Amino acid sequence: MNLFDYLVDNWRTVLDLTIEHALIVLASVAVATAIGVGLAIAVYRHRTARELVLRATGLILTVPSLAMYAVLITIPALGIGATSVLVALSLYALMPIVRNTVTGLRGVDPSIVEAAQGMGMGRWQRLWRIEMPLAWPVVMTGIRVSLLLIVGIAALGSIINGPGLGELIFRGLSGAGRPFALPIALAGFFGVIVLAALLDAVFGLFARLTTSRGLR
Amino acid sequence: MTTTRDSEAMIRLEDLTKVFPGQKQPAVDHLTMEIPEGEIVVLVGPSGCGKTTTMKLINRIIEPTSGRIFIAGEDVTKKNPDQLRRGIGYVIQQIGLFPHMTIRENIATVPKMLKWPRERIDARVDELLETVGLDPARYRDRYPKELSGGQRQRVGVARALSADPPVMLMDEPFGAIDPITRERLQNEFLRVQEEIRKTIVFVTHDIDEAIKMGDRIAIMRSNSHIAQYDTPEAILSSPADDFVSDFIGSGASLKRLGLATVRDYELSDWPIARVGEDLAVLRQRLRESDERTLLLLDDENRPLRWLTAKELERDDVELGSAGLEVRARVEPTASLADALNEIVASRVGCAVVVDKRGAYLGIVDMTLIMTAAEEMRRVARERLRELAERGEVEPEEVSTP
Repeated sequence: MNLFDYLVDNWRTVLDLTIEHALIVLASVAVATAIGVGLAIAVYRHRTARELVLRATGLILTVPSLAMYAVLITIPALGIGATSVLVALSLYALMPIVRNTVTGLRGVDPSIVEAAQGMGMGRWQRLWRIEMPLAWPVVMTGIRVSLLLIVGIAALGSIINGPGLGELIFRGLSGAGRPFALPIALAGFFGVIVLAALLDAVFGLFARLTTSRGLR
Repeated sequence: MTTTRDSEAMIRLEDLTKVFPGQKQPAVDHLTMEIPEGEIVVLVGPSGCGKTTTMKLINRIIEPTSGRIFIAGEDVTKKNPDQLRRGIGYVIQQIGLFPHMTIRENIATVPKMLKWPRERIDARVDELLETVGLDPARYRDRYPKELSGGQRQRVGVARALSADPPVMLMDEPFGAIDPITRERLQNEFLRVQEEIRKTIVFVTHDIDEAIKMGDRIAIMRSNSHIAQYDTPEAILSSPADDFVSDFIGSGASLKRLGLATVRDYELSDWPIARVGEDLAVLRQRLRESDERTLLLLDDENRPLRWLTAKELERDDVELGSAGLEVRARVEPTASLADALNEIVASRVGCAVVVDKRGAYLGIVDMTLIMTAAEEMRRVARERLRELAERGEVEPEEVSTP
């Protein structure tokens, strides 16, 4: 049996797993975006807080998934399954989003912000109408990097019975050496790559459409 | 210190002080100053003197440490700063257009915050683009990056004028623009100001720009201490002290001539010749005059040639091509500095003043320039004496000019 034969027989399973995979990735990145952008807005003006948050989110990325899950499943509210995976992936997705949002906001020309202030825009109006739209392309890039990163990391969620293509990879891994193992592992392998490419393309288009023509 | 008493003060700064945290010296030290309605007041001084800080205290981009700010009689020191700023036009050197918004959206920013209806905003945007010399249909929907530096500056001015604020603050608005465009924008802005008559606080480090733009100039030294606050003419004629003279630099007299226009002076007469007049009459006229030439005019009184006795000696002289061509012409609106330039360049030593159609009005010569300069000195002396009597300058300074 080769990969092609496997897909012909099991396309329905592979498609379901791919959709599950995409959903958990999108959900995690959405949570990370909400928290990450909020965190970035809270700290981008204060040096100490900014350094602290950037370092902390960076350190999260160095924790191996296995270790992360080992800790998360001991928390009663999370346990084994999708919830723990969602939390883990959201934590991993934070760093690129926080870092790019901070960079984007700090990169806004101060004279533009001063002009807005001089015209009577308050602190929040300046943030939403001037600073965020100008930082937007950089923020979008951060989210895009997170998406790609998380598509890969999400495969490991199957170790605690999480959703997604990881299941195929683990089945391939546990059956290593037997004839059916390789095609299954390859289906997981390529599934992750195709999904990553697809999400990246769609998100790239979204970023482009939501960026002002004056900034392109 | 000099304050203005002749017209209503639109902005009054009262004992205004700003001390930045961690600095011993105040950036602005007990400044009291009045800015009359409808005038351009230029704050000028060396870098670091506090002129920009002073300006930013007015719309409270920088909050004063102590003192009070009045605009149109209202104490705005404690007013909501955003409300305050929506009523004050603000133009900065970097312009600060919003790059993600169209020209229309940029100009509409304040009217939108003030919740104007859409039709009124649209009409206002077009009106303002016309005012600053940009075709609305062509530029309305463009983005700032699609405009040249000069055009962006025009949009910056239009945006500051959008909600028709009585007061405008301009911080080196033409500072980052090439000299030729700057000169044009300055002239255009003065033309616009003729109509809109805003009260404008204008900051620059360039004394020539201050002289050109200001109805009044406040020359500042360190900590925003005002060295002199007066009209450009008065500052040039009678600088209050050495700091002011040094700051004005060399050529103060020439700069002063740049502020006086030809039409304000009585022009000299010159012996005239007309095409077709009898040669004997012309010779007689030249002999009886104090001048060494006659000025030949055509049928419509337009100056043609300078004729000397030598050319008139020959009976077959063709008047229309004899002597020297009249090259140095100035209009009555020209400054004495322009006229002086023409005089120096001309071989006859004087400039002919002509009206719009080119018809002869009179002559500007060195005598007139020197008389004008003497008159300026006399006015300056009187002014200083007056100030000394009011106790506003030290009496010994009266003898300076």
